Amino acid sequence: METNYIFSFSRFIQLCKQSFIIHKKLIGITLAGFSGFVFLFLMLVQIKNYASWNNNSYMFTFLVMFFIGGTIYSSLSFPAFRTKEKSISYLMLPSSVTEKYIFEFFARIVLFIIIMPFVFWIMANIAGIIMHHYIPEFINYRFSFSKTMSSFAFQKGNTGWTNLAIIQAWLFVFIAAFTGASHFSKSPLVKTLFTLSLIAIGYALFTYLLVRGINIKGYTLDNDRLLFMHNKNQAMIFFALAATATNLCLLAIAWFRLKEREV
Amino acid sequence: MIQINNLNFAYPRQSALFSNLSVGLEGGSITGLLGKNGAGKTSLLKLLSGLLYPQSGNINVLAHDPAKRQVSFLSDVFLVPEEFSFPPISISDYLKAYSSFYPRFDSSLMNNTLNEFDLKPDNNLSRLSHGQKKKFLIAFALATRCRLLVLDEPTNGLDIPSKLLFRRILAGSLTEDQLVIISTHQVKDVENLIDKILILDNGKVIFQKTILEISQRVSFISGTSADSEKAIYSEAVPGGYRMMVPNGHDETEVDIELLFNAITKGNKID
Repeated sequence: METNYIFSFSRFIQLCKQSFIIHKKLIGITLAGFSGFVFLFLMLVQIKNYASWNNNSYMFTFLVMFFIGGTIYSSLSFPAFRTKEKSISYLMLPSSVTEKYIFEFFARIVLFIIIMPFVFWIMANIAGIIMHHYIPEFINYRFSFSKTMSSFAFQKGNTGWTNLAIIQAWLFVFIAAFTGASHFSKSPLVKTLFTLSLIAIGYALFTYLLVRGINIKGYTLDNDRLLFMHNKNQAMIFFALAATATNLCLLAIAWFRLKEREV
Repeated sequence: MIQINNLNFAYPRQSALFSNLSVGLEGGSITGLLGKNGAGKTSLLKLLSGLLYPQSGNINVLAHDPAKRQVSFLSDVFLVPEEFSFPPISISDYLKAYSSFYPRFDSSLMNNTLNEFDLKPDNNLSRLSHGQKKKFLIAFALATRCRLLVLDEPTNGLDIPSKLLFRRILAGSLTEDQLVIISTHQVKDVENLIDKILILDNGKVIFQKTILEISQRVSFISGTSADSEKAIYSEAVPGGYRMMVPNGHDETEVDIELLFNAITKGNKID
């Protein structure tokens, strides 16, 4: 098979242009709406809490918005799959599965991760400056990502595996929503959450029955009898690899759902 | 151009729609795909376009397996579905967004057809009526110059002048290497347009002939009484009868509706 069948950069650019022409108004409205929301929300919480407000307060607000916004936005991936008519038009578009998939991943996850913090940083600083202008006692009004990074996820003592585990755990939320959007036509986020809940409940129930069934309550295993995870670092390595594998599996499922979609 | 061998297809939890269906179609024709409701016309078109996957059997369209949806296949096949949706953008923006995906896109044909259909480039697609949207989609399909055009009920929603215009534009804008498949149950709309008829019934192709072959074998005449000995098939119409009779000397225009009724009621014209 020729490489051109799988991925062509010029066709990918065409796909980007096509999407921009179709969605330019929506992109503008969404960016304006999100910026306005961040601005107003920060103003409101800062009016109430200006005395105790600091960089970590900004970061906490950012993280909440980042995950909620990112999950909702990722769950809106593959918008053509919401209706039969749009699905036909999308699947018949002369572009390869890989191009459509990479575009969707790029537009829904990568761009969000890049743009959202930037928009938040701008709006947070604008809101902070305005608040400081009217309430001079509000002194911690400037927001800086680099200042707070050390006190949140990427602590100095962290190993590369720990950082990978944290990043993969973050990405899992977005990738799960992305995969759900490729699988479910209607209400993908609700159905994805329901499916993940079922898996979690099923796993918990299985573990509970296993523990009860073989009566291993109170059983402690010697450290040297464990095959792996003898310490925190090894546990992190296991978690990082498991999370990476899970994310890759979910991405593969999304790719196959797109490739084998029928209308 | 199209070769289907031993196709088997069924929707989930339903009985088989196609069992060992085999059919072949060559380029340079406008083929009418006729059949009753539920005969499988739309499903067959979707199978040809790669939107549905067969359970078994082979489908070869333009030397491609449609189910793989390769770019070279998608850029040479255009499907006009019965129901469709457009993004809320202007016609000119739509052309900017989509035309570059079709290497043989003919902008002058597009502009001429838009003029004929009385559509303006600054018209917003979301504000057009269903009939106007359909006219735009047909104009775009023709302008792609795809070698296979698949039109599912193209005249549904078109007013009478637009139906006439559709027939004229379609007949005048095709090239010799193109194959057009028109699925319809409004057979009057495609009279004088199609040059081959393919009739589907109960998941099987029960009839496949060119208009020339049909007119060489049978004639379509009117009379005040049904000549049961002479007629292969007759139907009462206001003022008398329409009859399909073995061809004597004169070739008559093919009455597709009468032919369709005759064939689906078990008559043969071989």
